[in-house]
Amino acid sequence: MPSANTSAASQANSFASRFNLQQYVVYFGFLAIFLFFAIVLKDSGFLTVRNLSNIVLQTAPATIMAIGLVFVMSAGEIDLSIGSTVAVAALAAAVTVNEYGLVAGVLAGIGAGLLIGLLNGALVAYVKLPSFLVTLATMGLFAGVARSMTDLRSIPVTDSTFTGFFGSGVFLGIPSLIWWTAIAVAVGHIIYRETRFGAHVLAIGDNARAASVSGISVPKMRLAVLMISGGLAGLAGLLYAGRLQAAKYTLGETDLMTVIAAVIVGGTLLNGGKGSIIGALVGSLMMGMLNNGLILMGLSVSDQMIVRGLIILAAVAVSLREKSR
Amino acid sequence: MTANPNVNAAAPVLQLQDIRKTFGGITAIENFSLEVRPGEIVALVGDNGAGKSTLIKIISGVYTPTSGTITIEGESVAMSNATMARAHGIEVVYQDLALADQQTVYMNMFLGREPVNGFGLLDRRRMINETEKLVKELDVRIPSAHAAVRDLSGGQRQGVAIARATHWASKLILLDEPTAALGVAETAKVEEIVLSLKQRNIGVLIISHSLDQVFKLADRICVLRRGKQIGVRETDKTDKNEIIAMITGLQQH
Amino acid sequence: MRNGLRLMALLATVCAATNAFAADGATTGPHGEKPTPASTMVLTPDEEQKIKDGKFTAALVWHEMSEYTNAVNSGAQDEFKRLGVEVVAQTDAGFDGARQKSDVETVLAKQPSIIVSLPVDPASAAPVYDAARNAGVKLAFVDNSPAGYVHGKDYVTIVSDDLFQMGNKAAIAMAEALGSKGKVGYIFHDADFYVTNQRDQAFKATIEQDYPDMKIVAEAGMADPARSEEIAQGMITQHPDLDGIYVTWAEPALSVMSALRSTGNTHTKIVALDLNEPAALDMVKGGNVAALVADEAYNIGVTVARAAAGSLVGKSAEPFLVVDSLAVTKDTVADGWKKSLNKDMPATIADALK
Repeated sequence: MPSANTSAASQANSFASRFNLQQYVVYFGFLAIFLFFAIVLKDSGFLTVRNLSNIVLQTAPATIMAIGLVFVMSAGEIDLSIGSTVAVAALAAAVTVNEYGLVAGVLAGIGAGLLIGLLNGALVAYVKLPSFLVTLATMGLFAGVARSMTDLRSIPVTDSTFTGFFGSGVFLGIPSLIWWTAIAVAVGHIIYRETRFGAHVLAIGDNARAASVSGISVPKMRLAVLMISGGLAGLAGLLYAGRLQAAKYTLGETDLMTVIAAVIVGGTLLNGGKGSIIGALVGSLMMGMLNNGLILMGLSVSDQMIVRGLIILAAVAVSLREKSR
Repeated sequence: MTANPNVNAAAPVLQLQDIRKTFGGITAIENFSLEVRPGEIVALVGDNGAGKSTLIKIISGVYTPTSGTITIEGESVAMSNATMARAHGIEVVYQDLALADQQTVYMNMFLGREPVNGFGLLDRRRMINETEKLVKELDVRIPSAHAAVRDLSGGQRQGVAIARATHWASKLILLDEPTAALGVAETAKVEEIVLSLKQRNIGVLIISHSLDQVFKLADRICVLRRGKQIGVRETDKTDKNEIIAMITGLQQH
Repeated sequence: MRNGLRLMALLATVCAATNAFAADGATTGPHGEKPTPASTMVLTPDEEQKIKDGKFTAALVWHEMSEYTNAVNSGAQDEFKRLGVEVVAQTDAGFDGARQKSDVETVLAKQPSIIVSLPVDPASAAPVYDAARNAGVKLAFVDNSPAGYVHGKDYVTIVSDDLFQMGNKAAIAMAEALGSKGKVGYIFHDADFYVTNQRDQAFKATIEQDYPDMKIVAEAGMADPARSEEIAQGMITQHPDLDGIYVTWAEPALSVMSALRSTGNTHTKIVALDLNEPAALDMVKGGNVAALVADEAYNIGVTVARAAAGSLVGKSAEPFLVVDSLAVTKDTVADGWKKSLNKDMPATIADALK
């Protein structure tokens, strides 16, 4: 402790600031929902390894998108175009993989994501438009592009290496989608928490002026986070295409709200400066588990939506209330 | 406060010669010349709009002067951004402190200049150790290097901002209204910290509205009015009345 | 707009060749199947008892909830209940193929004996249902089946509308409204959509073949439903003397209604497909709308549930079962609503009838 007059009170305060409930809401919430389903659905197959691994597999693309969004939101920006990016990337990959093979397909998918990120980023960083409006516009723009790319048709992906690598494959006894999730979370977490880049992302989201006068290039960082988000949405597109063995313009369309909810529940501030990759992972798994459990409970579709909405509302309310201490 | 007898002997850390800055057709600063020596605290005073903040931006590299020279330890420099000023050993404590509130004290200390280890990962141990050492030396009383800045009081934040500048400044620290938002006890604490900077043999240029504070801290006082340098006085050879007269224009030189 | 959504599910451009309109005047299935009336799908008391004894379970995996899905869903629920089959889960994929795949995987945790589903994207749906098929779950589909799936082996049956009959009944209703003579405008869905194409062409063919005194004098393709009002406006401006206008489904018919109203036209009759509350209200108030042709959506649910349950006790089903449709007019609106959607007609319409 640096100072002699460090009082018990300020120590407690420091303890509270470092270990406040807010960062852990998602873990408690996850645990509570898990336990609830485990008890209520113990005879309905919820606890089977198959079902639990399904939840992880099904949420893999959303988790990957959520990682990108943690970077963007931590930098004080938003990317609403990720859903459309998923569709464009999946279609680009599907068309290319069928024509030119695996590597070209992967490059086309990720490349499409990065290009959309580049466009978003350039408009935000250098034309200085608000990311909310830029990505709202590009969300619609690329939803249209996805529709026109293949004239609304779905494109089957026949390359079994591709579908194995990004979809149904198993490596060392673990499904490839779990590998992708694990790798993306681990790499994302290290970059976010343990590198200067991650520190600068948080700094510009926290106080862009302070970051700027400290020598951090705010425009470059804004461009970078939006490209990360685009690239990861592209990867999510590959995972969808691999899992479904087909790509269609509807892929990713309904994911945006789920991903935003997962990120916020996971402890990332909407206004930037603070966030968590692990939290986003758990948030995303929580959303998937919620979908899964409510279906298994045999609720009608409308009831599922109502209950899911209420639980997300409660989780967001608790985490935001804690944050605004 | 009397001047350090050694001060005049050393070469100035910062020397401004005939600085002039115009925006479009409007002259913001003209014929400004000032030296700051190591271990010396110089105060810059003047009414609102006198050109203080323009001058700070020139010294911190944000503005390039229209004409005139900036010399740092005898070497003439041209600075086009804040990063260059920092590279020359000049640090600024901004009025808004430029702290990232959600981040920890130690991350703020190293904001934009975080050390990394051999793997390219943040060297947190080093940041924390250096932060703790420095806040101890400067007697900035914060609960912990891990505390988030938003959990600190105004005086503690000011202390962190000054500590950061102190850590990185090899030549000069610019302090912009360091106590404007603080209470009496906290102001006294910050003033103590500022005075302790003299022992570090760097120059300090302080902007303040409080003449009490200026007389308490500064070795010399430089008065600006409407972009013009009215004069420089040694603190122990002037008094408040003269400085007020210079600021308000009742006494012209 | 329920049809617009549904049509997307039925988008079958990949198998466009087999979907070509059958000139002989019958609906063909998405893979060229011959239609069989749904009413032929009956179970003997013995079979029903075996099903009840089997303690079977079913999951309903929908593509998107809409008024149509609701009616099919409640038909299936009721029939399963009658047969003692417990519905253990139902899902809504929100028109997302990836989500439908997740939904299938999820409901498999409950090990249902039956999955009844409407595929979001038939062309690429095989990977969606493979897990269920491989687990031995009986699959029965509404409207379309996954490409590559074989009837009898991979799935029980497809149950759908009699699309030709719908267009045909619309033509007959138009003839009744106009006294079998007059000038007709024809607003068709200008897109490669299996459902609308068959219905539209059945209307046109019936008018041309069966009603020599009726002439289709104006044709307009509608690609974007949002622009239906402009299309209607244009048609009315060019042909103010039209006696009747056929509209491909009810939503754009509302635009035609408003276009007619704005020119003070009360004599041109509208016939459209599907029930829709504002259109039906106009009809019972003696407005431009003369008839709405509706499918028996509830009956689709009943039939698909019955066929799926029957398959568990060895009863085979025809590959493509079609339900009847009915022309709903002012006089039959109460009955029609009940038959189509298994719901009482909306209060507004009941009030207007008093």
